[in-house]
Amino acid sequence: MILCEKLRFSYPGDGFELRVDRFQVETGSSVALVGPSGCGKTTLLNLIAGICSPDSGTVQVGDTELECLSEKVRQAFRLKTIGMVPQNFELLDYLTVSENLLVPFRISGDGRVPDGAGERVSELLERAGIANHRDKFPSRISQGERQRVAMCRGLISAPPVILADEPTGNLDPENQEKIVALLLEEASRIGATVLMITHEPELKRHFDRVIDVLELRGEALE
Amino acid sequence: MNWRGILFLGGRYLAGNRAKTVLLVLAFTLVWLLPAAIALVVGKVEEKLRARASETPLVLGHAGSALELTFNALYFSKPEIATISAKEADAVSATDLADAIPVYSRFSAGGKRIVGTTIDYFFFREFSYEDGRTLIRPGECVVGSAVAAENGIAVGDAIISSPETLFDLAGVYPLKMTVCGVLEPSGSPDDHAIFVDLKTSWIIEGLGHGHQAAEQTDEEKRLVTDAGEEGVIRLNASIEEFNEINADNIDSFHFHGEMGDNPVTAVIVIPRGAKEQALLKGRFESSTTRQLITPSEEMDELFATVFSVQRIVLWLLVAVGVATLMIGAMVFLLSNRLRREEFRHLRHLGASAGTLRGLIVFEGVFVVIASLLCATLGLVAIAALAPFVIERMIG
Repeated sequence: MILCEKLRFSYPGDGFELRVDRFQVETGSSVALVGPSGCGKTTLLNLIAGICSPDSGTVQVGDTELECLSEKVRQAFRLKTIGMVPQNFELLDYLTVSENLLVPFRISGDGRVPDGAGERVSELLERAGIANHRDKFPSRISQGERQRVAMCRGLISAPPVILADEPTGNLDPENQEKIVALLLEEASRIGATVLMITHEPELKRHFDRVIDVLELRGEALE
Repeated sequence: MNWRGILFLGGRYLAGNRAKTVLLVLAFTLVWLLPAAIALVVGKVEEKLRARASETPLVLGHAGSALELTFNALYFSKPEIATISAKEADAVSATDLADAIPVYSRFSAGGKRIVGTTIDYFFFREFSYEDGRTLIRPGECVVGSAVAAENGIAVGDAIISSPETLFDLAGVYPLKMTVCGVLEPSGSPDDHAIFVDLKTSWIIEGLGHGHQAAEQTDEEKRLVTDAGEEGVIRLNASIEEFNEINADNIDSFHFHGEMGDNPVTAVIVIPRGAKEQALLKGRFESSTTRQLITPSEEMDELFATVFSVQRIVLWLLVAVGVATLMIGAMVFLLSNRLRREEFRHLRHLGASAGTLRGLIVFEGVFVVIASLLCATLGLVAIAALAPFVIERMIG
């Protein structure tokens, strides 16, 4: 379960302020976050991921209140609990597809790749339909394939929470459908909660809930 | 600190950006290597030159460049220096203050210097033979070990002196010399020299020659067909001169004029003691046409100049090095700016600040360490090759 209460966040020197009185997402459900640009969708995801700290209020992921964690512990928590799928793939161009998938392990703990990770890589790539690209560099594959790699990387540690920041923004409609279907299918397989930002009306139907962040902030009526 | 992750990601980043990494490593390698290599090579050259100079107490020669005289007498270079007459060596010996060894280092054969001298030189340098024997008669030569090795020359082979100027018909003409001995390697300029008797070098110069006996010549080779009252037969230019000295024609070789007037480029002077050395130096101090020099002192002067130039070069290299390091630092900064998104995303994925700092520092540390290693290897290679190169350059 994800629970945000009395959340306040503002960027220093910026007029923007995100206020969320209560926002709850049940475990295993999928939520599409919508809203105009600049309304705070990405900020909300960053707060839930523990990348940003709120000025006040609480963010609870599972049984853990993020405010109680030190920066170091929060990073470890993020690595273990949250799978991030960014909009711009954010793949490392000097690593192959399979090496990119293992980056979360490389940057955490002692950098050791756990036993069985190789099999997990093969399994994810197989399901994403890009197993034949595992030894290629990101520059050698298409946009849609890159996004699949980014999605697989977010799922590599089978995290209980998946936060996807508009992962279909750079894709054509056909690929958008495929990526979302794949993401939700994998999430369902591991029982993960999914929060995904999207601007595509066509994709909303795949999710259990659709939440407009403006409404969440109580500004839609204004 | 996640060293394993830093090493993996850092290593893969460097491998993925090979061209940039190699260029940076090469540029930094040159920054470390060049000053060290210059200091090393200059040190080795100094060692080599000083060793030879310290073995040669004094050198007498024509007034002029003391350094050129030193190089001619010790390293057999600068063949064009002014000469003195051979009898001046005898004059020094006659003083009983020193022994004198004339050196006529002017001609060459196949790029190797022909050094005309006396047998005393062989004793002075303590030559030992790999094969053969010392000089016994004119027309023979003893070759240094490098001359023999490079040209596949052995005892019994012949060496022909190179004509100085192709069109100077009256000047130096090639003389075929028989190799009678090969010296053992000494690591000195002697390895690269061809030693001949002084008379042989004068014959090469054309001061002495051998030809058919005048009485046995045909009339068309005579300027005057009749011997006349004085019994003098004058021969014309068609007379055949011998270009080789052998047992059959050695008696026909002769010199016109006084032997003592024939030239030498230098005289190695070995005083009997410190007092005798001082006396000899005093005798030549005021001479305007002759100079008696101490080679080790000339080397001191030479290296004082070399070191002052070296200091300037090193400062310039330091300046270039600092500029290179600054450019390198700028490349790192620009590289990190380009990687800002990558680092931001790694942070989002959960990388600690320490891991990110490690990734940033890794590239710089790798380039510095790799370049230091390359520079060290380069220096070791230069140190190993320097003796051969220096020997080729200065003997």
